[in-house]
Amino acid sequence: MRAVGIVLLVLYVAAAAAVPSVLDPGWLSLLSEILLMLAMVQMWNLLAGYTGLVSLGHQAFIGIGAYFVFYFSDRLELHPFLLLPVGGVVCAAVAALLAPLLFRLRDAYFSIGIWVFAEIVYLLATKTRELGSTNGVALKAMRLVDTETFARDSFWIAALLALLAVGGVYALIRSRLGLGLMAVRDNELAATSIGIDVWRNRFAAFVISAFGCGIAGATYFTGSMFVSPEAGFDINWVVAMMFIVIIGGIGTIEGLIIGTLLYFGLREGFTAWAGVSGSWYLVAMGAVAIVVMLVAPRGLWGWVREHRGWQGFSERRQPPAMAEGGQG
Amino acid sequence: MDWIETIINGVLLGALYGLLGLGLALVFGVMRVVNLAHGEFIVMAAYAGALLAALMPGVNPLLWVLPVAVLAFGAGYVLQAVLVNRTVKSGDPLTPLLLTFGLAVVLRNLMVEVFGTDPRALDGGAFTRAGVDFLGLRIGLFPLAVLVLAAVMFAALQWLLARTEWGRIVRATSDNARVVRLMGVRPNRVYNTVMGLALAFAAVAGVLLALRSSFTPYSGVERLLIAFEVVILGGLGSFWGAFAGGIALGVAQLVGQKLDSNAAALYAHLLFFVVLVIRPTGLAGRSS
Repeated sequence: MRAVGIVLLVLYVAAAAAVPSVLDPGWLSLLSEILLMLAMVQMWNLLAGYTGLVSLGHQAFIGIGAYFVFYFSDRLELHPFLLLPVGGVVCAAVAALLAPLLFRLRDAYFSIGIWVFAEIVYLLATKTRELGSTNGVALKAMRLVDTETFARDSFWIAALLALLAVGGVYALIRSRLGLGLMAVRDNELAATSIGIDVWRNRFAAFVISAFGCGIAGATYFTGSMFVSPEAGFDINWVVAMMFIVIIGGIGTIEGLIIGTLLYFGLREGFTAWAGVSGSWYLVAMGAVAIVVMLVAPRGLWGWVREHRGWQGFSERRQPPAMAEGGQG
Repeated sequence: MDWIETIINGVLLGALYGLLGLGLALVFGVMRVVNLAHGEFIVMAAYAGALLAALMPGVNPLLWVLPVAVLAFGAGYVLQAVLVNRTVKSGDPLTPLLLTFGLAVVLRNLMVEVFGTDPRALDGGAFTRAGVDFLGLRIGLFPLAVLVLAAVMFAALQWLLARTEWGRIVRATSDNARVVRLMGVRPNRVYNTVMGLALAFAAVAGVLLALRSSFTPYSGVERLLIAFEVVILGGLGSFWGAFAGGIALGVAQLVGQKLDSNAAALYAHLLFFVVLVIRPTGLAGRSS
């Protein structure tokens, strides 16, 4: 397993290094978008799939990360790429402040609470003149950027983020924290009784999730050099993430890779190649989601796992002989 | 005087918001299902109303509500029987939530393809513009009728659930679906009628709201958000709480509009958030 992982990693790095000199700019930006979506969806799934908190407000972190980088790279005369991690930290801080409020809410109430928060941030952004109000702002710090290499570097950052998100979530769910999260998700009472701090586990997942979405969102909008409240705080970010998670399989890592490829495959297939108008691909995606929920509620990868026994990036460890079938 | 009028109008708008949340609260209370397609059904009812308006011009708009509600009941019944029941029994509350999410996206984008994205409005004729003067205040006759209708519907649902045999069956099914089977009740059928009723309420609210403000296929999202805020503000399991929650939101929205004409929704959302901080169980919820 370890050897396969290393081979995959080497292949990924080699491919990422080669791609910018092979693909034309249109394809490169599509590929960046796919990789960033993969990173975000891993972060969303870390929360939904491993703690059971379905966030309908993660667009808030995407927008906040983007606006932070746009505003401060111009103000502080810093290269926007340098501020990307700081944007993530800001989002993590926002999440940390929000958590004591939102964690008082259960299940669906949490989903709506965070959605309302995202709406409030969106409305505030539309009313802030320094952030361009409803019109949005261009990346003024482009004056500090080498435009020759900008697209290439954006792509590399996207590739790095996707790798870190997949690897990070994998490492996380196999750690003490991840096992605690899954124990809480599966049976909160039992988890508490064996000494797992429910609140702290959820808090950690929420903050990490916000951090990742913040960086990925900031990278996406920096790459496109423009952000507006409509785009940055668009509920459709979460809509796309939910699709990918539903189809691929909630609480799986590989499933999300499949889901992401399917989502973009359908989108590009319908709009770019078949030339079918904008909303039909969404109708198709929605229908696919309904069918998947009816036939395989654990998503495509969950189905594969059940019927084929493939494990891939599973949270399941090779058990010592005694503990067979313990963690599932 | 201006302010009193604003608050009265807020109450009248809030009654309608209460209706938006009623069906959502019912479905959540009985089945623990979060219906993310609720907003799309509200908007579909508005389009159905527009169709009826074109077919029968000159009829009092309040009469359109009835056929649309009957249609919505049927749609809800079929939706529950064909799709949602299959996912409820999986036991994972996420499965029906994600299913209705898929449904919401399908319905929203089908509406985009069928009706286009231009904003539309229902014209209710003279009745919706009539008003009465009372102690120097001008109050719309139509919003007043909506308030009365909403109060009647809330009371009717409360009575149905608390006093009738059907209500007892619903409450028992909600408490323990396995045990009611032993008494000869089919939980799935109960769920079907509950979903039908919930969508009928949503449809009434949808048509009435369309008579006040314009709508597009994308309006479902914001209407779903209002409905959710109403339910959470009111507190779980309390229909009168939802009514109060709707009124609080309506007043906050119109007062906000008066303070700052392009940020009405911001004030409603802020109110929601403040209540959440002070009372996470909602206005009428028990603080356990």
